[in-house]
Amino acid sequence: MTLMKPRTLAMILAGGRVDELNVLTYYRPKSAVPFGGFARVIDFPLSNLMHAGLERVAILSQYRSYSLINHIGIGAAWDMLGRHRGISILPPFKGSGKSQWYKGTADAVFQNLDFVQHHTPEEVLIISGDHIYQMDYRQIIAYHRAKDADLTIAFLPMPLDRAHRFGVAELDDEDGELGGRVLRYEEKPAKPEHSWASLTVFCFKPQVLYDVLAANARDDHSHEFGRDIIPRLLREGRKLYGFKFRGYWGYTRTIDEYWQTNMDLLGPAPRIRLEEWGIRTNLEHRGIRDCQPLKVGPAAVIQDSLVYNGCVVEGRVEHSILFPGVHVKPGAVVKDSVLFFNNVVEADAGLFKVVSDVNTLFGAGSVVGGSAAGLRQEVTVVGWNNQIPAGTVIGAGCTIYPHLPPGRLPKEVKTGEVVQC
Amino acid sequence: MLSQAIDTLVLLLAGGVGSRLNVLVQTRAKPAVPFAGIYRIIDFALSNVMNSGLTQVGVLTQYKPLSLMRHIGTGAAWDLSGRSRGVKILPPRTGAKDSDWYKGTADAVRQNLDFIAAHPSREILLLSGDHIYQMDFDAMIQFHRAKKAELTIGMMVVPESEIHQFGAGIANSEGRIIDWEEKPKKARTNLASMGIYIFDTEYLVSLLVENRDEADFGMHLIPRAIARDNVFAYPFTGYWRDVGTIQAYWEANMDVLRDDSDIAPEAWGIRPNPEADHRHLADRCPARFITGSEVRRSLVAAGCVIKGSVVNSILSPGVVVEAGARVRDSIILDDCLIDKNAVVDLAILDKRVRVAPGAVVGSGSGKAVANRLYPKHLYTGITLVGKEAVVPAGMVVGRNCIVQPCRQAGDFPKSAVEDGGTV
Repeated sequence: MTLMKPRTLAMILAGGRVDELNVLTYYRPKSAVPFGGFARVIDFPLSNLMHAGLERVAILSQYRSYSLINHIGIGAAWDMLGRHRGISILPPFKGSGKSQWYKGTADAVFQNLDFVQHHTPEEVLIISGDHIYQMDYRQIIAYHRAKDADLTIAFLPMPLDRAHRFGVAELDDEDGELGGRVLRYEEKPAKPEHSWASLTVFCFKPQVLYDVLAANARDDHSHEFGRDIIPRLLREGRKLYGFKFRGYWGYTRTIDEYWQTNMDLLGPAPRIRLEEWGIRTNLEHRGIRDCQPLKVGPAAVIQDSLVYNGCVVEGRVEHSILFPGVHVKPGAVVKDSVLFFNNVVEADAGLFKVVSDVNTLFGAGSVVGGSAAGLRQEVTVVGWNNQIPAGTVIGAGCTIYPHLPPGRLPKEVKTGEVVQC
Repeated sequence: MLSQAIDTLVLLLAGGVGSRLNVLVQTRAKPAVPFAGIYRIIDFALSNVMNSGLTQVGVLTQYKPLSLMRHIGTGAAWDLSGRSRGVKILPPRTGAKDSDWYKGTADAVRQNLDFIAAHPSREILLLSGDHIYQMDFDAMIQFHRAKKAELTIGMMVVPESEIHQFGAGIANSEGRIIDWEEKPKKARTNLASMGIYIFDTEYLVSLLVENRDEADFGMHLIPRAIARDNVFAYPFTGYWRDVGTIQAYWEANMDVLRDDSDIAPEAWGIRPNPEADHRHLADRCPARFITGSEVRRSLVAAGCVIKGSVVNSILSPGVVVEAGARVRDSIILDDCLIDKNAVVDLAILDKRVRVAPGAVVGSGSGKAVANRLYPKHLYTGITLVGKEAVVPAGMVVGRNCIVQPCRQAGDFPKSAVEDGGTV
């Protein structure tokens, strides 16, 4: 009898900002960025954990954590509320001795080792809260147990010309398609020689984790799992295995990648199969449970798009994603765009390849994102709580900072321009 | 000062059969009938209670209460859960005495005098869970107090031709009701009762115990109160519908689609309870519109996938409209499948109905041919399909037809169900 106590403790690294996401992460961490027409990025790992039955979860958060804390709520949205089920948010804290901000992903876990040890897990699953993918973590845990590994890392094949942005490893074929021993590992090498890229999914033997974090804290100046912990374990001759993952993995660290990953939700055979993956979000956040169904007007056209409850579409929406509360008025056109909660597109306005953060109003007849020129133009990104005056023209590849004061925005913003406060 | 007493206790009558809603109430009480995609009828009354700041509710149930009880749950959806907040289900029960089914509205309240005593209150707001409307009960309570009334009745003006369906009151210039007729054959007034009452609590208890044989408010207690005491009419002028017939239910749903509509559930602050549904709303993705789909003047809930054409219709969560399929002037409840090249025209489909490829539900011009089994339920052309029925491929179902729940291919005639027919 196990007394139903969970064997695995899951920890989600959700503290980062990711500078390249620019205005989308001015007020929230990357993991809380909206994604998929109703959800947030972190809903993907959380839903994966829920479906795997791993419901004892900690979230390490640091940057602008309000949005994330609000989103997690009591954890009930992912069924993580019960005797042995729960989500604990672990922010940086002051101790009686020296205390400080989290200095890296490894330091964030190290500063919370008492929390980890208190749960006496049989393995610690550490995952990033920043990626769009579906994975049954039970498989990597089973592999980790079967190999009696010290650390098992999930990897996916990556073309060499794109591998320089990831931690890359050389794996042997000990278990064929399933996985193999990690022979070499390099973090973000300038000239990658290996093509297995880390997904930031780590399954640790607890004592190994405790020891390596203590040594890292004592001896090193950098405290990252990829850069410091994995190389250290390899140097120590520990048993590191790679679990080979071949599914979809959305790495949304730039605006362009973020836009592309959104577009992977669309089309006749979407690469992200939202319905099959079973993504859940917290309907209490932003009150989206109070939204009525989408209301479609008499002259509306909606093609190849995702639209959630609470929207009103009276104009034309093509190849786009509308979050709850978006209103597209008659004569307006929204194409190749992602509009977060409560955007309003006034009559005859046109949005082309735009990512717009929450609560922004596009005035009547404004044209944003160049024109219908096509998908090759750059993404225009608009920060939250903006009022774009009627008739304004904003080109492709522009960046509009959040909450601009009235009058700050010129009548015309040329292609690629950045408008700051 | 901390006091145990609450100002106004709410009693919600939710026991009615609503039999004219036919297959929609075969497995559920009328207040639990789905409405406008994600709501149930009772959400309107419960949300009005919440938005009026009222915090203690008893729900009197009798007929098929399970779906209603599951829907109400802890009451947290309407903020009715907490230290001083609560919603209690009050079904009929056996006891030392007075043990029987509820014989009428007044009898139902009389059998729950112990609940009223256990929740000391100044007034009792007595509501029905059957109506689609938005109303500020707090304003009505203030009116009741200002008039120093013993009883205040929510009333609205209706066409004289419809007054025979209602309790009808005649009010003097101050708003005091001086005469009353329950469902009058001949109209003397156009002021109709909405079935919303505020009683002084002590007054209601005394009315109920004075004569223990009186079973119904409209028939017995209200006329007696008007003849004897201070009864006022509280005027209401907004949108209000009793959706007790298939035609009224269909029309009120269609009202939500209109641009100039007076009914707007979200703007009214109406809350559904997504936890209670067969499939939690949180498990529904955004509605997906495939290239080539055509959707106009419709409500589309999360979880729908649209490849075909949808015009002037309401799609509840999880409805799939396949390529070449056409849906028009219809209400489709959760998780129905309208398969390739099928047609649904002027129909109401209960949950998880499957219309197989090429089948037609609602065909032809025989809208005037009433249903032969239920001519008073279906006579305007609407066809009803019960829960989980499968309309076989190529089948043609006419107007004013009924397909009973769970019917399969073998239950249908060879190729067509004639106008007014029932499967």
